[in-house]
Amino acid sequence: MSFVRGLLAALRGIIAELSDESAYRRHLECHGRSHSGEEWRRFCEERHRRKYSQAKCC
Amino acid sequence: MSKLLRALVWALIAALGAFCLAGIALRRGESINSIWLVTAAVCTYLTGYRFYAAFIAAKVMALDNQRATPAERLRNGHDYEPTNKWIVFGHHFAAIAGPGPLVGPTLAAQFGYLPGTLWIIIGCVLGGAIQDFLILFCSIRRDGKSLGQMAREEIGRVGGGIALFTVLLIMVILLAVIGLVVVNALKGSPWGTFTIAATMPIAVLMGLYLRYWRPGKVLEISLIGFLLVVASIFAGEWVAHHALWGPLFTLGGMSLAVWLIVYGFSASALPVWLLLAPRDYLSTFVKLGVVLMLGAGVFVVRPELQMPAFTRFVDGTGPIFAGNIFPFCFITIACGAISGFHSLISSGTTPKMVAREGHVLPVGYGSMLLESFVAIMAMVAACALEPGVFFAVNSPAGIVGATPDAATATISGWGFPVTSSGMADLARHVGEQSLFYRTGGAPSLALGMAHIFSRISGNETVLRFWYHFAIMFEALFILTVIDAGTRVGRFMLQDFLGHIYKPLGRTSWMPSVLVTSGLIVAAWGYFLVQGVIDPLGGINSLWPLFGIANQLLAGIALCVGTTILIKMYGLRYAWITIAPLSWLLTVTYAAAWQKIFSPHPRIGFLAQAEQLKSALESGKVAAARVVETQTLIFNARLDAVVCGIFLVLVTAIVLDSVRVWIGILAGTRDRSSNEAPFVMTQLRAEEI
Repeated sequence: MSFVRGLLAALRGIIAELSDESAYRRHLECHGRSHSGEEWRRFCEERHRRKYSQAKCC
Repeated sequence: MSKLLRALVWALIAALGAFCLAGIALRRGESINSIWLVTAAVCTYLTGYRFYAAFIAAKVMALDNQRATPAERLRNGHDYEPTNKWIVFGHHFAAIAGPGPLVGPTLAAQFGYLPGTLWIIIGCVLGGAIQDFLILFCSIRRDGKSLGQMAREEIGRVGGGIALFTVLLIMVILLAVIGLVVVNALKGSPWGTFTIAATMPIAVLMGLYLRYWRPGKVLEISLIGFLLVVASIFAGEWVAHHALWGPLFTLGGMSLAVWLIVYGFSASALPVWLLLAPRDYLSTFVKLGVVLMLGAGVFVVRPELQMPAFTRFVDGTGPIFAGNIFPFCFITIACGAISGFHSLISSGTTPKMVAREGHVLPVGYGSMLLESFVAIMAMVAACALEPGVFFAVNSPAGIVGATPDAATATISGWGFPVTSSGMADLARHVGEQSLFYRTGGAPSLALGMAHIFSRISGNETVLRFWYHFAIMFEALFILTVIDAGTRVGRFMLQDFLGHIYKPLGRTSWMPSVLVTSGLIVAAWGYFLVQGVIDPLGGINSLWPLFGIANQLLAGIALCVGTTILIKMYGLRYAWITIAPLSWLLTVTYAAAWQKIFSPHPRIGFLAQAEQLKSALESGKVAAARVVETQTLIFNARLDAVVCGIFLVLVTAIVLDSVRVWIGILAGTRDRSSNEAPFVMTQLRAEEI
């Protein structure tokens, strides 16, 4: 049972990481800010600039 | 578990792997179940991971969980963040999994299932996974530096410069060849074209939703986006049969190529949040979901392989691409066994997320094993098709004949029976007008996947849905690679042009954005159009070029790895990278040399140009086709030049590296490491 719980937690973690939701949470914690549309857009500017300056793998 | 029991279990796994490898290698003249391939692969991966990789981790890298990683030391809440091992694993795998391991093995199936399967398994365990593993380790010990930075620091400025130039060149060829795969999959297919076209407004809708309506709700909109894409697959069937919409979405190769070029330009020039980012979220989730589904499908269905172990095309006369098993099987498989592009990911985002040095083993080595397993599943899906069908779908008209009857007669004459009525039935079942001449591998892979998925659902009538679902899946993430690749190419070009005229280097200055996007799109678009007009289907020329470029990049990564190993231990452990490097260089040189100088026009670019020139001079070319033939001659020569550039690059980096190695071993060169100094970790177990 604990194995299944661990697996589900890992899956949730992977999905949150791939969707940038974890990164956004870290961004809010790091800057001590709370969620807002403006904050999300600010986060995206920064995140996307870095993320899409690297090629996707073949 | 006691030590003895553990040893017994591992001995059994190794013996089972050896037994299955021997089984697939020695069986002839009868069909074989795919479970043999799957078991051979899994057992070999486990053995490689437990013994070879663990040996390297312990003795060579001396991974130390007490040593703080860059994720901890340079933690900034953005790039550098200690992350759970399995999350980094999933993130890294999602980043390295591209279309290569699906398309390459499908194309290489023309030699039969055996050569490709053996190379995917052995090449990954001894080469590809080692490269990813070692580069990740080296980057982590150097504050998460990129391959280019490490090449510059460890080998010299020449190595660093070549690495950067190679990335740009490989991207141009990569984008062209995967663009060609999409074009050939959608050619004359209103259903597929509509579905893919629909993903664009869906992505824009997702972008607007995330930006203005529900900021931050990525999972929510990804789910909505996925449901809309599935709805568009169903709508595609209606569109295909509609009197007005059907013809509108029935496009030829050239029209599709032009649309793709326009799309690439738009995706590069538009704000990233509007099209690229939402499409990337969607394609990542669809990609992982389909890979899991395919894995489960292969285990549940366990299809029999219809393709023989070896086909007659081992002699180099294959219809999909020309050339002998050596070196072309290895060049064609590319990413499923070893991919230079992975070294960019292993020295990109991943090293900045690894919390403990011990995680390098599962993340670096383990992810590549999973990628290789995806390649095995693609091989299974392709080889589960009747060989006659496989060749009818993948062979160009220039080889098998321009009519269905001529094509089936040629293919049946090769010993792979297929009929035009059977192909027409199959096309009807999957909702297509025709499945002939769909070179590029995507449609045959989609057929194989659709057969597996429809057998799981126990309802063969849903074959048409699954076929178009598979086409959508392949095209979706190929287009994401095209979006992102064009944008990255634009940044690299802007970076370069900024040295000549400063404003051109500004990534937000619109004239620069438009000019550089146009230049990058023109570069890959030229090769794409070249592939579309090629009477031999384009894949014959472009896929080997891509394979050579990709393996060259892997060669650069292994040169960097070897240099670092020699600095650490002299020659003692250098064999770990020198062995795969030597093989890779042999393959790359042999392939590049043959592609330029082979006297056979289907293999050698120069021979092809010469043949066309002779035909032109002797008046054998119809007046209406003179211009086209002149273009083909120019293209063949251009391909030869590009291949020659690859050879020069390989030679330069290898000579430069060997010079450095000799210097280190002779004591005339500084062997001090560029590793960051040891810092004790402060992370607690519960933090990761």
